[in-house]
Amino acid sequence: MSVQAAQLRIALIGNPNTGKTSLFNALTGLRQRVGNYPGVTVEKKIGTWALDRDTDVQLIDLPGTYSLSATSLDERIAVDVLAGRVDGLPAPDLVVVVVDVENLQRNLFLASQAAELGVPMVIALNCWDIAEKKGLQIDCKLLEQRLGVPVLPTVATRSRGTDDLAAAVIKAIKTRPMMVRPKWPEAVQKAMQSLREELVEKRGESLQTGELQRLIFDRKSAVQDRLKTPASEYATILADVRKKLYDDGYNPDAAESILRFRFLNPLLSDIIQRQVAMKKRSRTESIDQLLLHRFWGLVVFVGMMYVVFQSVYTWAGPLMDLIESLVGVAQGFASNFLSQTPVLQSLVVDGIIGGVGAFLVFLPQILVLFLFISILEESGYMARAAFLMDKLFKWCGLNGKSFVPLLSSYACAIPGILATRTINDPKARMITILIAPLMSCSARLPVYLLLIGAFVEPRYGPAVAGTTLFAMHFVGAILAAPLAWLLNKALNKGRKPLPFLMELPPYRAPRLKTMLWRMFESGKDFVIRAGTVIFAMTVLIWALLYFPRSESVSTETTEAYIASIENVSAIDELDDTQFQRLEQKIDAAYLEQSYMGRFGKMVQPIFAPAGYDWKITVGVLASFPAREVIISTLGITYALGGEVDEESSDLRDTLSQAKWESGPHAGQAVFNMPVALSIMVFFALCMQCGATVAVIAQELSWKWAITSFFTLTTIAWIAAVVTYQVAMLFA
Amino acid sequence: MRLNEITKDGKYRVTKVNSDNESIARLMAMGLLPGQEIRLTHEAPLGDPIAVQFEGCHMSLRLEDAAEVEVERAE
Repeated sequence: MSVQAAQLRIALIGNPNTGKTSLFNALTGLRQRVGNYPGVTVEKKIGTWALDRDTDVQLIDLPGTYSLSATSLDERIAVDVLAGRVDGLPAPDLVVVVVDVENLQRNLFLASQAAELGVPMVIALNCWDIAEKKGLQIDCKLLEQRLGVPVLPTVATRSRGTDDLAAAVIKAIKTRPMMVRPKWPEAVQKAMQSLREELVEKRGESLQTGELQRLIFDRKSAVQDRLKTPASEYATILADVRKKLYDDGYNPDAAESILRFRFLNPLLSDIIQRQVAMKKRSRTESIDQLLLHRFWGLVVFVGMMYVVFQSVYTWAGPLMDLIESLVGVAQGFASNFLSQTPVLQSLVVDGIIGGVGAFLVFLPQILVLFLFISILEESGYMARAAFLMDKLFKWCGLNGKSFVPLLSSYACAIPGILATRTINDPKARMITILIAPLMSCSARLPVYLLLIGAFVEPRYGPAVAGTTLFAMHFVGAILAAPLAWLLNKALNKGRKPLPFLMELPPYRAPRLKTMLWRMFESGKDFVIRAGTVIFAMTVLIWALLYFPRSESVSTETTEAYIASIENVSAIDELDDTQFQRLEQKIDAAYLEQSYMGRFGKMVQPIFAPAGYDWKITVGVLASFPAREVIISTLGITYALGGEVDEESSDLRDTLSQAKWESGPHAGQAVFNMPVALSIMVFFALCMQCGATVAVIAQELSWKWAITSFFTLTTIAWIAAVVTYQVAMLFA
Repeated sequence: MRLNEITKDGKYRVTKVNSDNESIARLMAMGLLPGQEIRLTHEAPLGDPIAVQFEGCHMSLRLEDAAEVEVERAE
């Protein structure tokens, strides 16, 4: 690899659904890295493409866009990268435009816009095989002549044509071919000239012709944000230029589309020959007759979503069990190995191995969901699902694409939030991420089962218990709807939402390679970015529950216990059951003395209006990293050991017999129906999940992660207090 | 007649588009321009959005945006 060649940068652009990503993967293989562009959540994918044995170039995969009108973030990034305006990314030496053979005209519109930015170009005519199958014949040589740039047929999904493409690129780097540009009418040229005078010559802005066009043709071009001239000043200049153009007979909002297509259409005449007459109805149309049918389409949709949900909710189970048991085996091994050093033993077993297990356990759900998402997206069904569901979400600023992520969040918010990557509207995506934690995930189920089993079922019977469990699954969703509406209002601030336009692409058979790739990418991303944070949080909470660890706690508890039992005066006189009981009491005493226990006692007054004593408070606090931890924490605080589960009758009995030790309620039962309901409501709404916080930080930012954490905790607290107080009126 | 009012039987031709609307401005960049033929392919179960086909594009758009496109019956 020569040093000079390594500095060559090639950008890849194209419409969505043209196989651009497949081509990127085919060209770079595993040699790619994913990040974000500075300050925005647009994915930045850069790979290394070996043009030949000793020429490696940098390949930048730009977001799929239909035009460069730079009103959405994706388009803005595309313009900025092509014009060399992104920090650390000078203008590319060449752009490869991926064009879908079946939609030449629309695809070349984008190419023609890119050409205005002055970058040499090579065109890849992708999906050549599908076109051939359909009997389309395209005269590449003629197209090449007319456009003035090399045109190469490719089949990205099978890596066909990539060698020829590489050869053409090597040549083009030297010859720098430029695509023909339209000859703009005098009025447009005048507009560009006067804008150049005002902004470039008078005010020293650095703008190329292509960027000037964006400022003229796009009503709210993102290029404006880059100007150094004050907004009040350039707004007047732009308004004047656009007004002038309008007066000259060209509506600036419509002129570009009309003029460009007028320029492109003649170039494309006689390029395409149809060998076979088009069938009356294509395969895609026939499938859509069923899948987009107003009734049967919904039936199929419900069926498909059921499969997706079940797969994440249930089918990932065995894998999760496997990971949990492997973590258990590792913990057992480490526990024996380190039994001489209790602090180290607890750190390694509960902190480190527990922390690794805490994020590994999410991997099966993530991988399974992304398997299905890649099938849904690749096949073209995802767009149809969004089409069917759109109206349900429209009123609160979301769109149909929010459905799959929110449904998945009912199994687990982690894969659900990662699945929002399929939503292209950044604001809709953000709102979906922020309300996803309110969907009742499977980790809440043990809490519901324990409390319903202990308090609702014995009193009201299984029917009411079942109904309560069902109702608990909607508490969060009911709150999520108005929250989404408010967020939409707040985030809009007068800005118009991104339009909901969606292509319904032809159906294609999903490919195994792509599915595995998507699974691998999402899993790797999660482990590297969120996994480390989840790990750190688990270790921190472990320390808060473990320290300080003074010997006296153990001695005092032992003495008190021995004193309480008749006929026993020393520890070695205890039988096995009594000894186990003593160990559980010591654990409970340590927890009470730990920083977390002390903190719980300190903040208990805050939770008193919700009916919680200090033990519940500690349980609630200790379950902030993962809500299901409440069960084992309650087990420890009530001296039953940490191995209890939600079905444990010991735990249920102990809870229903627990009494207030002091205070206004001394002697009364701690757990009554209002408290049980209040705890369930708190768990339904609170973001007690370190992994979710970490993933929100990964997908949005730490600012949003922390804001949503505190917001949901506050909402959960208010709702729990209201539930308790209202329920007490009826109790 | 407007695009939100068309039915599945038959083809229509675009006569006028409101480029003030951002959705429409985007559709124009895909070729939805006066003179273009267009037909309705599907309506969502709740009536909104609709799917239309023009040139090589099969696009879903909301009724409020479709109302910004004027059409006439072709043929």
